[in-house]
Order: sequence, then C-alpha cells, then structure tokens
Amino acid sequence: MKKLTFLTAIILAIATITVNSQTSGKLVSSKTQIKFFSSTPAEDIQAANTTSVSTINKETGEVVFSVPMQGFEFEKALMQKHFNSEDFLNTQSFPKAKLKGKITNLDKIDFSKDATYTASFEGEMTIKEGTKPVKENGTITIKGNVVELQSKFNIVLADYGITFVKGKPSTNIAKTVEINVLAEYKPE
Amino acid sequence: MKKKKILKIAAIIIIAGLIIGGGTALYMFNMPQRNVQTAKTDYSLTASQIVEEYLADKDAANNKYLSGDGNSKILVITGAVNKISEDFNGQKVVLLKETGDKAGISASFTAETSRNADALQIGSTVSIKGVIRSGASYDSDLELYENVILEKCDVVKK
Repeated sequence: MKKLTFLTAIILAIATITVNSQTSGKLVSSKTQIKFFSSTPAEDIQAANTTSVSTINKETGEVVFSVPMQGFEFEKALMQKHFNSEDFLNTQSFPKAKLKGKITNLDKIDFSKDATYTASFEGEMTIKEGTKPVKENGTITIKGNVVELQSKFNIVLADYGITFVKGKPSTNIAKTVEINVLAEYKPE
Repeated sequence: MKKKKILKIAAIIIIAGLIIGGGTALYMFNMPQRNVQTAKTDYSLTASQIVEEYLADKDAANNKYLSGDGNSKILVITGAVNKISEDFNGQKVVLLKETGDKAGISASFTAETSRNADALQIGSTVSIKGVIRSGASYDSDLELYENVILEKCDVVKK
C-alpha cells in the first residue's frame, strides 16, 4: 500500500512537471546579435552587441530584449568612448536598454511547424531615459526546436534624449540609425 | 633684422604646434581598443561573490565596476564551468555558475582566445579574465536572473 502511494506521488509529480513545461511556453535566447549602423557624409559608424538576453512567450506572444549597453563594440576606441560617455548614452547610469511588447499576429505563427513567418510587433523601447512606442515587423523562422528572430528598423536618436549640439559627434553621427536584431531561441 | 628673427621663431613654433596637435588628433582618432588581457586586473573575485554583490545592491555594484567611458573594470572571476556555447561571431561563451546560485557569469571569448575555451571541462573550476559589461539582476520582464557579462575573455593560466 505504501509502495502504491509512493508510486502515485511520483507519477503525479512527473505529470505536473511535464504539464508545466508545456504550458509555460517561454523560449530563452542568450545567443543574440544587435547591430546599429549610422551613415553620414563624414563617416559610417557601426557597432555590434552579442550580450543581450531575450525571451519569447509562445502562448502570449510577449517578446522581451534586455541589452547591456556597454556590450556595443566599435572599430575605434574613441567611438566607443563617445558612445558610452555621459553626453551620449551615459552607460554607467543607464547600463541596459529594454525592448518589450507583443507579437500582434500570433495566430498566424505556428511554433510547431517549420516555416518562416512574418511577425508584427508592438511594444515599447527604453534607451537611456526615453521610452517610445515601437511598431515593427520581423521574421520568425522555425526549424525543429530552434526559433530564429530577425528584424531591421530605424530609430530617431533624439526620441530617446540622445542629442548632440556641439563637437564632432554632432556632424558624424546620423540623426536616425538603423538597428538590426538577430536572436536564436532554444528550449532550455 | 630682429623682427625677421622673431617671425622665424613664431613660424617654427606654429608649425611644430600644428604637427604635434595634428599628430595627437590622428592618434586619438585611430587609437586602438584597450588590450584587456595585458591590462592590469582591477578585482579578483569568485563567481558567487560578484553575483551576490550585484543581487544585494545593483546600483552600488554598477558604480563600482562600470566606468563612464565604457572602459569598465577588468576582473578575474573564478568559478565552475556550467555551459560552453558559441555566439553569432563564432566566438566561445563560457558560463561560470556555482550550483545553487541564482545567476552566473557569461564570459565571451575573442577570435584569438576561443580555442582556450574549447579545452575547458564542464564542472571544472577555472579563472577567467575579462572586462565587465553589465551586472547580474532579476529582470521582471524577462522573468529571469540575468548573468554578469564579461567580454574579451581568456583563461588565466595558473
């Protein structure tokens, strides 16, 4: 009798764990790449960041990106210094940027079927002290249990309180920069 | 005659100034990135120590470890290898995390040092040197503990 109770308990425990892992639906990615590109007649500036963490919830469509700002790597040391400085992104006081929102056409995306889907995203992005609504499209590619997200959009720096009135950066950095996002999600 | 001499000296000073100024500007503009591996280590800590410090007071830890110009503190972290993966640049990322800790240290290696990460064994204890990019904290949007991020890493040889 004792044995039976024990066995039932184990079966129940396993069943609970299985159900939970199926319903949580959260995919995590620490394999990410965020690039930005700024082009002016004076010079082209680009930087890449592979340190972000992102989650997608398959059930609710919620997407979150947390971006450590000091993780942006520039070709030139001086560019990186300007980027991190108090006048620009002030990364010591604002070490992380955040993008969060929802996939609005979740019904069009079948996470159990290998294919490439266009995902519409609506949410908000916080950089430095500014939070702005974001509405962009991206593609989601499903291949087995690997989910890849890709998106490309532009942001206006002044929207986030990133402005330069004087000095070299004001002529060498574009007012609008292109952002490229790539992330690979695997079930844990 | 005297006037000519003064003019000559003035011209030499101006030209020398231009050369030095221009040279400095050019050097500043093309200054290479800091070499993290040959630079002095600012702090040596265990994986658990830095995670605890960040989870206790994130702002105080950011003030201590992050620098305003992006050249943040160079750390040597000792901890257990939990996971080895690869980023989109094909560079190795080693996760140092002690059993029972809420977060760990994600250490990104470089194109030059990635092969040193290959030799590491899961579960073994190693010391890794790199520059800190961000600290550990609980993110309520991700519903996850974020790891401490180190970059430009290499294994510290004993």
